[in-house]
Amino acid sequence: MKEMKSNKNKIVYAAISISLVMVACTKPVEQLPILGQRTVSGTDTIYHTIAPFQFVDQDSALVNNATFKDKIYVADFFFTSCRTICPIMKTQMLRVYEATREMPDVLLLSHSIDPEFDTVALLHDFAARLDVTSDRWHFVTGVKDSIYKIAQTSYYATALEDKTEPDGFIHSGAFLLIDKQGRIRGKYDGTKEEDVNRLIADIKRLRQEKQINQ
Amino acid sequence: MRYTAIAGVVFIGLLSCQTRDPKFQQYFVEGEQLYLNNCSNCHHKDGKGLGRIYPPIAGSDYLGRPEAEIICLIKYGIRGEIVVNGTMYHQPMPGVPLLTELEIAEITTYIFNTWGQERGMITIPKVSAALDSCRRN
Repeated sequence: MKEMKSNKNKIVYAAISISLVMVACTKPVEQLPILGQRTVSGTDTIYHTIAPFQFVDQDSALVNNATFKDKIYVADFFFTSCRTICPIMKTQMLRVYEATREMPDVLLLSHSIDPEFDTVALLHDFAARLDVTSDRWHFVTGVKDSIYKIAQTSYYATALEDKTEPDGFIHSGAFLLIDKQGRIRGKYDGTKEEDVNRLIADIKRLRQEKQINQ
Repeated sequence: MRYTAIAGVVFIGLLSCQTRDPKFQQYFVEGEQLYLNNCSNCHHKDGKGLGRIYPPIAGSDYLGRPEAEIICLIKYGIRGEIVVNGTMYHQPMPGVPLLTELEIAEITTYIFNTWGQERGMITIPKVSAALDSCRRN
């Protein structure tokens, strides 16, 4: 009798654990990860966010953190005279631009890592020739060191001058997805179509996310 | 009967291979690879370019210019304004100076025989003569 009872208990426990697993597996939409270092102070977790910045876009407008207040945005680093990965990145970013056409809370931010050559006028022409406008896609130039610093310390993207490289720069082809709180929520290879498909899907997911963990 | 049918198919297959010179085929195939490695970043796999930044090669009226000019710009690049299909482009194109005469012959054979073009093989002597006309010191 005692043995039977313990068997019954085992079955109950098994049933509970199975249902717990099932509940966990059917959790509706999983949140995107929050990338970067985090610090815990008391009961609060402080996430890595994009540091303050200020650059100038293709229409000579100031672009800073306030430009992206309550906006999701995708950031990358490129330069107009680059013949290696940038043309592919721009083709892929153009796909993101098209895919987010009906999303007023989604913006794009392309930083030039050759800001002395890529003047406002040159970026203006470049954007115009892609048929894109600065209300949704900012091409920015500014102080070179500030752009390199924000690339490396805020976006965790590589951007360096290197005279030994064919084009004179080392840089990653990464696209970074930034949420409305300035946190990095995804990193994608901007030279790969499938990775950019994942980015487009993640933008939709991020827009669905309730603004928790503020 | 069955064997006759098989033999017939094989014969037709052989015939269709013969329509193109094997050397042409080799240039074309190598040229496609070289195009993908050296040109397609900007001009794209399908040759359509990007916006009004990188001009198209597919369906481009620029291919109507002298072949020597096109051979030279692949090797040495081109700067300044050009007009392609009525649109002005001015993004400088860097040349690819490391390309050999054979490689340029292969690339031009590829672009002159794809996207609706059928201009036959571009030979090494042709490339050589073209480069002599624009060689830089």
